[in-house]
Amino acid sequence: MVVFPPTTPAEVVALIVRIITSHTFITLVFFPGFIHLTLVVIFLTWYERKLLARIQLRIGPLYAGGPGGLLQPLADGVKLIFKEVMIPYKASKPLFLGIPVILVLLSALPFAVIPFGQHWVIANIDVGLVFIFAMTSLFPSMILLFAWASNSKYPFLGGLRSLFQQVAYEIPMWISTLSVVLMAGSLNLIQIVNAQEKMWFVVPAFLSCVVFFISIMAELERLPFDLPEAEPELVAGWYTEASGAIFMLIFMGLYMKLYLMSSLVTVLFLGGWWGPAFLPQPVWFIAKTLIVATLIIIPRGVYPRIRVDMLIKIGWTRLLVIALVNVFLTILLVNSGVMAAWGI
Amino acid sequence: MGDLTLMSLMIPPDISFTVLTAITIIGAIMALQAKELIYGAISLAISFIGIAGFFTLLDAPYLAMLQIAVYVGAVVVLILFTIMLVNREEGAKMEEQIDDPEGSMGLWLAGLLALAISGVVALVSASLPTEAPPANLPISDLGPALMSQYPVPLIVLALLLSASLLGALVLAKVER
Repeated sequence: MVVFPPTTPAEVVALIVRIITSHTFITLVFFPGFIHLTLVVIFLTWYERKLLARIQLRIGPLYAGGPGGLLQPLADGVKLIFKEVMIPYKASKPLFLGIPVILVLLSALPFAVIPFGQHWVIANIDVGLVFIFAMTSLFPSMILLFAWASNSKYPFLGGLRSLFQQVAYEIPMWISTLSVVLMAGSLNLIQIVNAQEKMWFVVPAFLSCVVFFISIMAELERLPFDLPEAEPELVAGWYTEASGAIFMLIFMGLYMKLYLMSSLVTVLFLGGWWGPAFLPQPVWFIAKTLIVATLIIIPRGVYPRIRVDMLIKIGWTRLLVIALVNVFLTILLVNSGVMAAWGI
Repeated sequence: MGDLTLMSLMIPPDISFTVLTAITIIGAIMALQAKELIYGAISLAISFIGIAGFFTLLDAPYLAMLQIAVYVGAVVVLILFTIMLVNREEGAKMEEQIDDPEGSMGLWLAGLLALAISGVVALVSASLPTEAPPANLPISDLGPALMSQYPVPLIVLALLLSASLLGALVLAKVER
């Protein structure tokens, strides 16, 4: 019997067992939580290197053991942990050491509301989508603060570019999700996925899906929009001065954000966990998410980089207009009853 | 076998209220007192996060999220942007201006504002509802309520926003 507060040792043990076997603890620590996230992030770093190598007719990681050098990220991690953290001259030490931790935290927190299955979600809150946007909108200011704290030329230029980029992509991104919210009638991610049981939202909101995909490419600083970390111009952009464990934290945060945005595409447009019933729901979800992540990674081996003014022009004259057109189309579809006939 | 309810382990609202108040007020004071403008902007962000915590405490998670997205995300970014674009010498000049004795005018204005706010509160408090609204209201009720019950405040807010937009345009033109 679980009693709170516990008085005898047996009650303490019972309480601990009760906490460990509770749904909250399991989802937080094991499946959509820490262990799953860490494993996927480690896998994604290897996957990106291998995929880009194959695109460019190279071999990629090979010698670190496992099939295809699968243990390479582990070797990298051990190397980075044991390296010295170099703090630049006159850098702001609390910001330089603290912001990488905040970056990892900000990219891990939104997974609390991402539903990996009907019951595989940590927190089922009504404003899940707004929560994710609130967390991701803090990234550019953190990046700028880290760049400023480095007290160096190239990081600072990268940080300013990150702010320009946010001005360009954020509004089209928010508006392109609006048509999904209109069709599902909810901001709760579980209800959004439930509304896609008959038909994925990518069909009635195809334009929104395209706009959202391009916007998250800019949000994730992926080519062709990787202006804040443009290697030929800015060394490594805003994290030029990061080294050792600090660099590892930033890297983890960036790949966790890649996984987050891919899973958001799956939730909003690709029907979340829905799929033929012979596989469990989380398997479908992760498979779709990894396909989206592949689509995000591939342009890095294919396309050149565009300029800041081109990005802002694309954001405000193309993406915003297309997203608004799709919102009006969605209002027409919902009000004319076509959506009801399709079972949404 | 239901899920473990962590209600008994939760922090009582009084303590969270005190902590949030401390975060908000200390953040605001630090924002005014910081020598380096960047640290001032960070303190302002912390103060805004404290206000978002108040919204969560008041069962308004939607407002809390928007507070973080709009104020901490967008407004602080604008402030940081401005700080980065201003020269350090200009910043030093502004500090000198703050030091001169006519700065007490700000204190008078703040006192007047406090008086006005307390007057409005004293006038309105009689007509405020005494019981708390039911918790967990669906967000979809927010739009209809704004458009049907409170259209006049909404229009006044829109006027305020357009006035500030026009003001910004006028200021930008004068500088050129």
